[in-house]
Amino acid sequence: MASNDKALSRRRFLRFAAAGLGVAGAAGVLAACGGAAAPAEDAAAPAEGNKAVVELTFWWWDAAGQIWADEYNKLNRGAKVTFVNTPFADSHDKLLTSFASGSGAPDIASLEIGRVGGFTAKGGLLDLKAAPFDGGKYEADMVKYKWTQGSTADGRLVAMPWDIGPAGVWYRTDIMEKLGLPTEPEAVQELISHTKGKTWEDFFTLAQQVKEKSGGKTKLVADAATDVYGGALRQGGEGYFDGMKVMIEEKATRPAQLAADFRKQELDANIGWWGADWAAGVKNDAFAGMVIACWMQGGLSRDQAQLNGKWRIVPAPEASYNWGGSFCAIPEQCKNQEMAWDFVQWACCSAEGQNAMFKPTGVFPAYKPAWADPLYDEPVEFFGGQRAFRMWADIADNVASIVRSPYDLQADDIVNAEVTKVMKEGKDPVQAMKDAEAAALKAIEGATP
Amino acid sequence: MASTTFSSAERAAQDRRTRRKEAKRNAWAYVFVSPFYLLYAVFGLFPLMYGIWLSFHQWDGISPMQWVGVSNYVKLFTVDETWWKAIYNTLWLFFGATTPQLIFALILAFIINSGYVRFKDFFRAAYFMPFVASAVAVGILFTSLFGMQYGMFNFALSAVGISPLLTAGDKCVAWAIETNSLGCAIDWLGSALWLKPSIALVVLWQWTGYSMIIFLAGLQSINPELYEAARVDGANTTDIFFRITMPLMQGVILFQVVTSIIGAMQNFDIPVMLAGGTQSSAPGGTDQAGLTAMMQLYWSAFKYNTGSKSGFGYASAMSFILFFMIVIFSYTYNRFNGQNQTEN
Repeated sequence: MASNDKALSRRRFLRFAAAGLGVAGAAGVLAACGGAAAPAEDAAAPAEGNKAVVELTFWWWDAAGQIWADEYNKLNRGAKVTFVNTPFADSHDKLLTSFASGSGAPDIASLEIGRVGGFTAKGGLLDLKAAPFDGGKYEADMVKYKWTQGSTADGRLVAMPWDIGPAGVWYRTDIMEKLGLPTEPEAVQELISHTKGKTWEDFFTLAQQVKEKSGGKTKLVADAATDVYGGALRQGGEGYFDGMKVMIEEKATRPAQLAADFRKQELDANIGWWGADWAAGVKNDAFAGMVIACWMQGGLSRDQAQLNGKWRIVPAPEASYNWGGSFCAIPEQCKNQEMAWDFVQWACCSAEGQNAMFKPTGVFPAYKPAWADPLYDEPVEFFGGQRAFRMWADIADNVASIVRSPYDLQADDIVNAEVTKVMKEGKDPVQAMKDAEAAALKAIEGATP
Repeated sequence: MASTTFSSAERAAQDRRTRRKEAKRNAWAYVFVSPFYLLYAVFGLFPLMYGIWLSFHQWDGISPMQWVGVSNYVKLFTVDETWWKAIYNTLWLFFGATTPQLIFALILAFIINSGYVRFKDFFRAAYFMPFVASAVAVGILFTSLFGMQYGMFNFALSAVGISPLLTAGDKCVAWAIETNSLGCAIDWLGSALWLKPSIALVVLWQWTGYSMIIFLAGLQSINPELYEAARVDGANTTDIFFRITMPLMQGVILFQVVTSIIGAMQNFDIPVMLAGGTQSSAPGGTDQAGLTAMMQLYWSAFKYNTGSKSGFGYASAMSFILFFMIVIFSYTYNRFNGQNQTEN
């Protein structure tokens, strides 16, 4: 027992010390333990036909990554891609560790929008516009804001846009019908969508109706902190920084006020997102809708399958916006840069690759030519036959642009802590965002008001 | 030692001769045990030393390291309020969870060992069971139990009608009166008031059984004749517990307290599961009430690695402050407790 306890604490220490603090040799071994060893020296070895086959590793945090590996390998383009499922919680940490230690990075890495700023600012990734790459040619084909997010401040492209998260208002037809409210997307758009000139005030009105007609049992959304604040904030472009200028007060005050009002009027169900309570809330009809991005479809269709076909989507009030999305990048450690680039181009910059992923998973392409596929005009069963994919594409085309910052994650946490105080303790939203701005200026050296 | 008749110089010389001979004879044995030491050097000693070196640098893991002297430590001690808040939370959890955990465990072990209890094996296994579960599974289970709207705990409380009573002092009550609703549920993981007690409850639940087993092992090594003799002399159970059990258990208790201090200062997995933050909330929950030192350390190193008041170097400095706190607490306890039983 005694030695067991010591081993535990030592192992825990190792996780933070050895793995984290970057011991060149040790990290290599650790990476190998994780089943993520870089391809061996025989990378350029066995010849298949007359082409040399190189081995590439590709990291992503969803099991669906295997789809790309399989499809790509079928084509025999000269490389064999091995997919490694790196859980989201530590996928970026692992990449960071491999950079710190100088070995163990994959040939193709995936970056999520919240973390991409840290990597675009600090290096470790190859510029996909510089020789031997010619990524610049895809600029016009990619969603504009996404291209900006993958670029560094000095104009290098280090993260190739992969998927995006066009977002809107989702609602359930079964609940709307029960409450005697409109169920057809066209009619609901007339009530709340920016395409019909509607604002958050109109969204409040609908929320009020849902509350009244259900006798308070059902609300329009689960949690104003996510559904209202999360949406209203992102309509000004994701992120709280413009270069080193902190934009928290400027960007977040109104969204925080909206969310606070929403909560004060008890228009949300006061159920936090992403947990068991939320899932139970869905089952208990505690809320009729949500304001979230397209990627919600994957999880919902699995976890709440009884509601497939009952969801509809309409554009958000006031403006279109994006929530989340990912990028592909090639680390400097990559040994077969040409083939890695070949894979990235096939996966992210071709309709074939993007749609191979989109069709089964709903991971929405940032590569616009992919949307020309007839697939996007088909009625979607999950959305009760609504032509939802076309709507996502239209939303995606109209989103505000912003450059990501290396301090995104830290700023997110600082602001979220204040938003939580507003929602849970009734703190004044104006003061809260003032405090968040002050906290960010204090925590991040070089930040300017 | 005291009973030896040899002179100590004579003894030492003899020892040295035999030791050299022994070493030669056991050369292979050293080869066989060497893997541990080699691995320890690579995975234990080297990172430790490297960590000290790192704590004097600013490093985001990607750009080159920058020597900053003791500035990381200076920042931590002077301007970093979040860090001290995290330390406060960690200490709170030590006193709120680990201390009762040890006390409960000792009492439980004494009861199970006492002979009044039937089905000992069953209870031993039952109390130990939570320890076997992975912290992640435990976290998921308890997040569901702690749910405000649909959680089992609130359901159970409201079923017996004591929910409003328990939320007294919380803003919740004012809200309940204002809105004329029938009391309101406890926001276990959402309110700053309840978050720490909720985490403490889970830690207590998961670790009491483990401590109990260790105490039980200690209790079983006490010669039952001592108890019998005490009974014959007319001692009651309380006397036996405080005058025989406790003194003889001192070594085991010391071990438990020291490992618990180490464990409590590194409290990480359960707080992360219960208050680790989501896309729309920050790590540590409302008012950072559930942010432990180890969480702040991890976030500094891996999530905020690009900042100057964070990063790998800064996190290393944090870990050494934690290290010295552990040393100080362990030493103080040892001192406070008089003689060191582990030397015998």
